[in-house]
Amino acid sequence: MLGTFIITWRETIEAALIVGILLTYLKKIGQSKQFRFVYWGAFWAVLASLAFAGISEFLSAFLRDIGQDIFEAAILFLATAVLTHMVVWMHHNAREIKGELQQQAELAISKNRLWALATLAFVGVFREGIETVLFLWGLFLQGGRFESVAPPVMGGLLGVGLGVLMTWLFFKGFGHLDLRPFFRVSGMILIFMSAGMLSSGIGKLVAAGLVPPLIEPIWNTSRLLSERSFIGSLVAGIFGYRSSPSLIQVIFYLLYFPITLIWLRRQSHDLAQ
Amino acid sequence: MQHRGWFETGFAFGILALALGTAAAEDELRVVIKDHQFSPSEVKVKANTKLKLIISNEDATAEEFESFSLNREKVVRAGQSITIFLPPLKPGSYDFFGDFHPDTAKGKVIAE
Repeated sequence: MLGTFIITWRETIEAALIVGILLTYLKKIGQSKQFRFVYWGAFWAVLASLAFAGISEFLSAFLRDIGQDIFEAAILFLATAVLTHMVVWMHHNAREIKGELQQQAELAISKNRLWALATLAFVGVFREGIETVLFLWGLFLQGGRFESVAPPVMGGLLGVGLGVLMTWLFFKGFGHLDLRPFFRVSGMILIFMSAGMLSSGIGKLVAAGLVPPLIEPIWNTSRLLSERSFIGSLVAGIFGYRSSPSLIQVIFYLLYFPITLIWLRRQSHDLAQ
Repeated sequence: MQHRGWFETGFAFGILALALGTAAAEDELRVVIKDHQFSPSEVKVKANTKLKLIISNEDATAEEFESFSLNREKVVRAGQSITIFLPPLKPGSYDFFGDFHPDTAKGKVIAE
């Protein structure tokens, strides 16, 4: 029961973090009435995960060899693109905040932005959703083999519940920050998440044999911090930490920061003129 | 002219991908998942040689092949198989496990 609990809890936290940032952000800019866009994205992602797990047999030819890697890489690159778009937009918004100690602002948000938000909620949940659904479904199927399937399934569902609750509590507190620090911290989290997703996307292409790893692994820090530990799994989820990455992943991870920062700076210049 | 540039770039990438995909013949190894266990659970491989690991799942439930030291993570659906490409490994032992059944599904790749 504990094992299944930890697995779904970990998957849920990563997805809930993105949804949490989006909701808190909307609240901060006085757009609480637009929550439904984020909920829509998350809701459709859950449905899509169920559907995707359900039709997996029909997709077997596609998913067999490297199809799965390419599909996951595509989702990760899409997530990177939407996250980066969000970061640029948030940076732009942060500049419009006048007072230092402001808790909330009234900022306009366009329909296109709202769809970008919905897409981000979708991608964030869908990415973790497929795995969680396959895992929970597997637990149900094992019912015939073991005495009772109830404890592991309960554990799995509790994991999802606790993941959501913990993230909710976190944002309860985080949401009380003043606008400036809130923008700064959430922007940083999103930039790191985005770099991590870009680098895992490249990792998928390496696993598929489509991109050369250059050197793999470039280091091994599994003894210092294992992804299986509590802290390790959080650091992996938020910052994209890997204990034995390939060189090409590290290169893309590191290149992401200067490129995004230059883009942000150029945006500020454009706005100033 | 610009269209042609794009086309040529795409073509070059295609050739590159093909070349990378077929660059060197890999050793091919098979691992079966049954009753939430890997067999063989110890996979002996040649060190410093590219590898292709084919993992087939004979269980009725999905499993996720995961290894931190090999930097790989991939779902194997019920009754299906996946291919994992590995770079030339330095001599040593590399743990892997099934993330959906970590208590029973354990194994290692031993490169020598």
